[in-house]
Amino acid sequence: MDKEAFLARVGEYHKGGWRLALINATTVPSPDETTAGVFELSWAFAKDLEFETIRENIVLADEVPSVSDFFGAAFLYENEMRELFGINVTGIGLDLQGQLYKTSIKIPFSHAAVKARLEARGAATAAASGKKA
Amino acid sequence: MKRTIIPFGPQHPVLPEPIVLDLILEDEKVIDAIPTIGYIHRGLEAMVDRVEFTEMGFVVERICGICSFMHGMGYCVALESIMSVEVPDRARWLRIIWAEISRIQSHLLWLGLGADAFGFENLFMHCWRMREEILDIFEKTTGGRIIHSVNRIGGVKRDISDSELIAIVAKLDELGKTFDATAKVFASDASIRHRLSGVGILSMADARAVDAVGPMARASGVRMDTRLTGQNLYDQLEFEPILEAAGDCLARVVVRMREVRQSIDLVHQMVDKMPKGEGLPLENKPRGNPSGETFTRLEQPRGEVVYYVKANGSKYLERFRARTPTFANIPAMIKLVKGCDLADVPNIILTIDPCISCTER
Repeated sequence: MDKEAFLARVGEYHKGGWRLALINATTVPSPDETTAGVFELSWAFAKDLEFETIRENIVLADEVPSVSDFFGAAFLYENEMRELFGINVTGIGLDLQGQLYKTSIKIPFSHAAVKARLEARGAATAAASGKKA
Repeated sequence: MKRTIIPFGPQHPVLPEPIVLDLILEDEKVIDAIPTIGYIHRGLEAMVDRVEFTEMGFVVERICGICSFMHGMGYCVALESIMSVEVPDRARWLRIIWAEISRIQSHLLWLGLGADAFGFENLFMHCWRMREEILDIFEKTTGGRIIHSVNRIGGVKRDISDSELIAIVAKLDELGKTFDATAKVFASDASIRHRLSGVGILSMADARAVDAVGPMARASGVRMDTRLTGQNLYDQLEFEPILEAAGDCLARVVVRMREVRQSIDLVHQMVDKMPKGEGLPLENKPRGNPSGETFTRLEQPRGEVVYYVKANGSKYLERFRARTPTFANIPAMIKLVKGCDLADVPNIILTIDPCISCTER
């Protein structure tokens, strides 16, 4: 992602009086084995009745700059993205050093964890249809 | 000056649910607070990988026992938006009636917890007794007191007969009178004022800076309420958000008290305006699997909730995300705790009306 352009856009929202409504990550698995899966990131902003988003697709190796210089409340979303998705968010205003959540699965929305869940689902479905047959 | 770190939670007499704040103190003053959540994290969002979208609504309404109805409603509204399902009129009105009744029970629950926290147990019992009457309405109309399972993608499962609606309105009127007497105590009792007035002040500028939502923001004078978008039929009602200017703990109590009264009035308006008659359609069943994505916002009792749903045409969603109001209000809570006296921490935390269960979805 183009960090400077991204931060400039976020800065525009801040300057325009928008508030940060949500930062969301979605794990998008690779359609085949030859390409890496991506993470779809959304920064959602609200102002009065309006609601707009910035969307970026990143791979695991990418660095994502924190927006907490503009929106102080971003630190929670950003710590969450790091802990649940393994995304490398840099410069978080209040860096909780991996202590925000206590989860039994380390990085539960990583590509590997999601793939494991999807494979388990496929196996369960196959077993169930085998039983029916 | 020597600094002391006091862990506040996960178990504490005023905390109904577990959260930890490491309070860094100089003498009796809180200098900083570091939050840790995750004690009851259930990974419900990850269940989209193995629970079909038609059944996911049952999971979503279990995010929280207090906001159960509105979580179910939000999920259905999101899926209806993706699947372009037209919800029958009567079902839409029924949803917002249940939603406002939900707000009443949630605020009564919180007012009771608040009273308990500042040492007024009698008031706690009054609030919870009134809440039981609201739960009776839920039980009678949905079959459940806490988990209702009445929302369906495309509508609602059950109707409330016109005569029952009139009885509900009468019941709420009666409850409103009892509530007024209790509200008078909240607003005028000297011991409550002493504990809450001027404590934990969040200015309007600060509320905006930390992106506070719901009664937390409105008690600081921020005119912000998702119902103002007019979605879900609120554009057909006379509605203006309840605002207070003081921004302190007492203002947050007053906003919620006034919102109980406002919700009773809204239910009146809804019953007057909704289409009447027996046997009206309640559900348009969606066809096929959803494909697309949407952000949906609702005004829950604690404030704005944002749902993100992404579907890929299969019977399993690709992503479901709920950003709950408590999650959005944690930065405000940390801001308030910094600089306060240790003795005021419980009241400040409680007045954001924290729902850790929602936050730990």
